[in-house]
Amino acid sequence: MSESIPVSSPAGHPEPTATLEAAIGAAGLSVGFGGTTVLHDITVAFAPNAINALIGPTGCGKSTFLRSINRMNDRVHSYWCRGTIRVGQEDVLGKGLDVLSLRRRVGMAFQRPNPFPMSIQDNVVSGVKAHRLARRHELGGIAEYYLAQVGLWPAVKDRLQDSPFRLSGGQQQLLCLARALAVGPEVLLLDEPTSSLDPRSTEMVEDLLAKLSSQLTMVMVTHNLAQARRLSATTTFLYEGRLIESGATERLFASPGEAETLSYLSGRIG
Amino acid sequence: MLNQSRQSHDLDQRSSACPEGSQSGAAGGTELPPQVLLAAPPSSPAPPLPPGGGGRGGGGQKRRRESQRAMKTFLGFFAALPAAALAAVIAALLVKAWPAILYNGTGFFTQRQWQPGGQYSQPVVTNGISHPLGASYGALPLIVGTVESSALALVMAVPIAIGTALVVVHKLPPRLSTATGLLLEILAGVPSVVIGLWGTIALGPFIARRIAPLIAHNVPDIAALHFLRGPVGYGQGLLTSAVVLAVMILPIIAATTRDLLRQVPTDATDGAAALGMTDAEILSAVTLPWVRAGMIGASVLGLGRALGETMAVAMVSGAVLGAMPSSIYQAMTTIAATIVSQLDSAFTDATGFAVRTLAEASLVLVLITLSVNVAARLLVRRVASTALPVGRGI
Repeated sequence: MSESIPVSSPAGHPEPTATLEAAIGAAGLSVGFGGTTVLHDITVAFAPNAINALIGPTGCGKSTFLRSINRMNDRVHSYWCRGTIRVGQEDVLGKGLDVLSLRRRVGMAFQRPNPFPMSIQDNVVSGVKAHRLARRHELGGIAEYYLAQVGLWPAVKDRLQDSPFRLSGGQQQLLCLARALAVGPEVLLLDEPTSSLDPRSTEMVEDLLAKLSSQLTMVMVTHNLAQARRLSATTTFLYEGRLIESGATERLFASPGEAETLSYLSGRIG
Repeated sequence: MLNQSRQSHDLDQRSSACPEGSQSGAAGGTELPPQVLLAAPPSSPAPPLPPGGGGRGGGGQKRRRESQRAMKTFLGFFAALPAAALAAVIAALLVKAWPAILYNGTGFFTQRQWQPGGQYSQPVVTNGISHPLGASYGALPLIVGTVESSALALVMAVPIAIGTALVVVHKLPPRLSTATGLLLEILAGVPSVVIGLWGTIALGPFIARRIAPLIAHNVPDIAALHFLRGPVGYGQGLLTSAVVLAVMILPIIAATTRDLLRQVPTDATDGAAALGMTDAEILSAVTLPWVRAGMIGASVLGLGRALGETMAVAMVSGAVLGAMPSSIYQAMTTIAATIVSQLDSAFTDATGFAVRTLAEASLVLVLITLSVNVAARLLVRRVASTALPVGRGI
């Protein structure tokens, strides 16, 4: 365990900011499934407390990279990886690592909202319960705090025991973000978090991410270049499993250093 | 897919967040206005339709309408067939059983004796119903035996079925998983008489010698647990029947549960894993709630089969008439087993009353099965009120 166990002390519902620097990076990372190599020798460093966009055509390995950070690929048959991924001071791929507590520190939001088949309130506190971060009587307060943080509280405060599947897609995604935030992560991985949402919901989610970006380190896979440009501090471009270019978003969009980046940004590849 | 719009004035356009297909580069510049795409090409205007009913086209239309109507009648006929079959069965049983229903009265549901009456004495007529002297029927042990053995079988089969399905879906490598699935289907296809014979010559004696003593001698001497104590019998009775039934309904429930588990979206289980839940927590928080409603449906399917199962139970139940077991080791019988074992002798009743009584018993069995199904539907509706986004079993 790292020295920085933040947030969700049973006493209150603190901001998910407790760590100042949860820098993430990878060095010499190669990842594959069976005989195919999906990522080749990726070395990258992400900015702490900011949104880091990960762009590239479909199948370039963005999601695989994202899922390596919280070891979600472990769940896939025949997965292998080499190299290191650092979250804070810790090597995520190291042997004796506690994957469950890693996933508490590194939260994730998915392409499609994926609420659990339980009430809205239980959804928010499901991770808190699993990690035993709070006592039973505190759960209601925690649910309210995080629902308010994602801006969902006014809409659901009278239906906390309802099914989450009656919410709109955008509301469901916000609920999933509240669920991820409730365990007090230092890092949030976002796998195309708005790609299944309508424009208004997208705006709500983007506003939330922008608000969170000063407190959380985020890595966001997106196919939406405008979104990457709007939200992110750094952008990393992957192409066919290799890292082509990585740097400050403004700089990368304004003057890409590599021919492939320019092609992708101008729509000639991808 | 790339969004076409990269000009700076487009960067604030949030709607570009839509996934591919939903938008075709609204700011692209050269695309046609939508109404042009929707309308027919202007170069080939549609020919004006001939006035209705005229010429060859009109005759064709009439034929098409007729064929449409014929098809409806045709399909309606086949749709009505199953309902008609059910109605015919119930009606025939009801007509046959009616005198027995009148004569046996409510005692049929509360009494335990099963006396066909004197076969060699003169038939007696009571209230216009002819029956042998001393005929007296009470089906309580049959009804209780039917419900008990099926319920016990369900209690045994459901946990094992869930376990089997979970292993098949989540733990076994694909090839082994397919093989296990095949075995389940083979088990489902084994004729009940074969399982009954196995129950008689192998399982029953094994239970009597090994299992039953183990339970009977170790269960605490509490009134509520007396049904687990007492003499262990000779291997024919409630416990053996329940195990045999469990073996028969296990593949149905396991196979259905397996299919349900495969429908649980990986999105949801991934979400639980990404939150740092253990496999067991994912199971109880996401997977099982997701399949719960369907599981109830699957269990009722199994229960329905257990309630009506005849041959195997007739072979291992001990087929005792007129008594109720006081422990799970004692001989018992069910409605179905009684019907099949008593039918031959019932036909020797010259008044036909024994057969009428069996018809009444079979109506009771139909009623039990029906109420189980109705109860299950209500339960499923209750459980499904968590509003899952996907199918919910029955």
